Amino acid sequence: MATLLELEQRGDVVRFVPSLAWNEYEDRRIFLLPHAKDWIENVLPTLGSTWNIEISPEEQLDTLFYDFCSGKALAVGKRFSKLHPRENGIWELKTADLRVFGWFQPKDCFLVTACNGAEVIKHHKLYRGYCDDAVRLRNNLDLNEPKYVSGDDPNDVVSDCY
Amino acid sequence: MTQMTSFQIAIKPSRRAAGRFVSRVRTALQRALVEEGERRGVNQSKIAEEIGVHRSVISRELNGRQDITLGRVAELASALGREIEFALVSPKARDGQNVPLAKPEAVQVQNIHQFSKPVGPVTRSTEAPVMELTT
Repeated sequence: MATLLELEQRGDVVRFVPSLAWNEYEDRRIFLLPHAKDWIENVLPTLGSTWNIEISPEEQLDTLFYDFCSGKALAVGKRFSKLHPRENGIWELKTADLRVFGWFQPKDCFLVTACNGAEVIKHHKLYRGYCDDAVRLRNNLDLNEPKYVSGDDPNDVVSDCY
Repeated sequence: MTQMTSFQIAIKPSRRAAGRFVSRVRTALQRALVEEGERRGVNQSKIAEEIGVHRSVISRELNGRQDITLGRVAELASALGREIEFALVSPKARDGQNVPLAKPEAVQVQNIHQFSKPVGPVTRSTEAPVMELTT
């Protein structure tokens, strides 16, 4: 069993480094499983927006991760939210074109298991598969118990969500 | 064996600034809609009717599935009963920090309005232009 830091040292997870302004702090952290990082590095830059909007999927993810890490609100009221609970402690971060799956451990620390285009996921009905895969990866990760923060309210997993 | 690795998304600074600015404008509009909804019952349907578009257009624009033009930002602000304050500011220069020189055509503005919730004293930021929707 290992801490998140030990997993990072082993290379089992990769830490995301946000590009913050000099007066900003990393209030929340993101780690990625290696294959998720590989997808973001190799596949994401090739994607165009399904909605044909100015901001590319890669730029959307950069902004999403920046908002997350710099402690920005991830939801405005109940109707505009970038963070959604799935099941079994799995959460989804979203942009117009992307869905990012993972879990929180500890609070304010998101471990990314997968990222893919929203349209692909919806068209091929892949939500269940990504959630099940995230649970499997979490179970197989040599992380200290408890492995995830439970609860389906965003306030359970992040500070200052609203 | 230690093999600490880290990861950044490699995009141009100008595109990074664009993504963040668009997100901040959209968040300001969402926040104004939620606040005005609580205050006086404004909703997307009423906004759409006032502007003269279908409600689905407003929904797509506010949820990021459709680009919002500058003119539409002003229309939405007006329909929400808000005014817009906008400023282009020079990055704050700090000792030991590399700050790009301002181009001759950069706009110098007196008032600076931080958009996001400030942590500690409100100071100038090196970020791109800020926007605020005020009542």
